[in-house]
Amino acid sequence: MEPDVYLDDEDEQTVVFVVTSGPSTPQRCATPFYLGALLASMDAEVHIFFTMEGVNLMRVGVAEALVAMEGGKTIIGFIRDAKRAGVVLHVCRPALPGYELEEDALIDEVDHVSGAGVLADLILSCDKVVSF
Amino acid sequence: MQACNGCEFIGTLHYDPEFQIWVRREQGGTLTVGMTDISQTVAGKILHVRVRRPGTRRPAGKPVATVESGKWAGPVPNFFDCVIVEGNPAVLADPALLNADPYGAWISRVEPTGGADLALADFLTGDAAFVGYCERVRNEDIQCERRTE
Repeated sequence: MEPDVYLDDEDEQTVVFVVTSGPSTPQRCATPFYLGALLASMDAEVHIFFTMEGVNLMRVGVAEALVAMEGGKTIIGFIRDAKRAGVVLHVCRPALPGYELEEDALIDEVDHVSGAGVLADLILSCDKVVSF
Repeated sequence: MQACNGCEFIGTLHYDPEFQIWVRREQGGTLTVGMTDISQTVAGKILHVRVRRPGTRRPAGKPVATVESGKWAGPVPNFFDCVIVEGNPAVLADPALLNADPYGAWISRVEPTGGADLALADFLTGDAAFVGYCERVRNEDIQCERRTE
């Protein structure tokens, strides 16, 4: 099925991605950013919230060396595309200690280090939630 | 036609400060928008293009179209308040034309609400644009290539 080549104006929606995938499953790590960039370019407000192993994707040096497929673009490239399109990145503060991760070891692209309450508010107030 | 690292450049067009799009003045005050050779190279083989429906008003910052390739998805950025006049039917039917002929395969034609002069006030053109264009190409080590398949 192909989408209509013309995009209609719709009420702007907020979409939240909850990302628990991380470097142990690299094939799962590009799509959240690709789809996030696409939705943001269609006027959606997109938040990606990394928790569980997802926080490790935001560790300095990880996304720079990770690809979703052999010979593919690095995950940091997908992250930067998403940021350029306006996607907001949150890292779960309570998940950091489990991965021995300090806030100052996160990549510059992270917008917020947030508690579970922020995720709860996002989920309850947004239009769509997608988990990866 | 000029070029840097194989990235073609046309001095008579107008470019945003990051050289993502080109804009051409048309008779009657409309503007034609397309992707630069840099943008089509960075995107890779383009698979889908969707343009805002004709008649839609798009303020500055709201994209006029979205583009998807195998490795990149994102906006065709918009820098001025405008109304969409039309999408290029040829590109909508065959998005890979953007890879093969980025300066011939335009994406959309728009009517700037404040007039063409105001819309293009912050765009670069001519020699000044070529300097900036080459700077981006060299800083990011971009080697442009045309996909014709």
